[in-house]
Amino acid sequence: MKQDYFSANNIKYIDYKDIEILKKFLNPNGKIVSHKRSGVTSKNQRALTSAIKHARFMGLLPFVVK
Amino acid sequence: MKPMQDNEIKDEIASNDADTGVNERVYELGYLLVPSITEENLPVMYGNVKELVSSFKGEIISDEMPKIIPLAYSMVKVISNVRNKFNTAYFGWTKFVMDSDKVLELKKKLDLDPNFVRFLILKTVKENTIAAKRFVGRDAGHKRVPNTHKTVEGEEAVPINKEEIDKEIDAMIAV
Repeated sequence: MKQDYFSANNIKYIDYKDIEILKKFLNPNGKIVSHKRSGVTSKNQRALTSAIKHARFMGLLPFVVK
Repeated sequence: MKPMQDNEIKDEIASNDADTGVNERVYELGYLLVPSITEENLPVMYGNVKELVSSFKGEIISDEMPKIIPLAYSMVKVISNVRNKFNTAYFGWTKFVMDSDKVLELKKKLDLDPNFVRFLILKTVKENTIAAKRFVGRDAGHKRVPNTHKTVEGEEAVPINKEEIDKEIDAMIAV
């Protein structure tokens, strides 16, 4: 993913309930993919990170995958 | 001239405040309800949540009926001095416009409710933010485009060639 996924798909607000999208940015251990690897703009990476953390809190995404 | 303009701007801001209320914002309440609620009681609980939001002068924009989901990890909540472990819960959400002061009161009320495993109040936007299926489809389409193009071209090319060859053969035989 070289280009920003969210601007390419015209996503203006990153929602914590969209777990299908958020899962793309998790590595096999459930960690958030780094800004360098995800290719997302800094602004969107910050929004993405908080969306993933909100989803984790609500039990939609795991904190760790063993 | 400048002081005059400033005054006008201030007046405009004041009138806007009067129109829209004090500090109205769009919020979203995501919540997990305890799985011990039966299917029949679920609509009642769902109605209660909506009523609770409305009771704090919240104007509901959109919402979703709670659905039972498997939790990504087990959650613990102490309800009346008993530790309860949850592996499934009903997940639902509502989006509403509310005064920023009222939201704190809503939070305090929800904190005391034993039917909630967890809840989350977020600032959000009025527009619909879920478009997962469409984007996933589009993304998948993008990835497949180069492959399908090649196959389509190949398939199109082959029948045309066959027909042409057949015609040529027929012509040859006729001659």
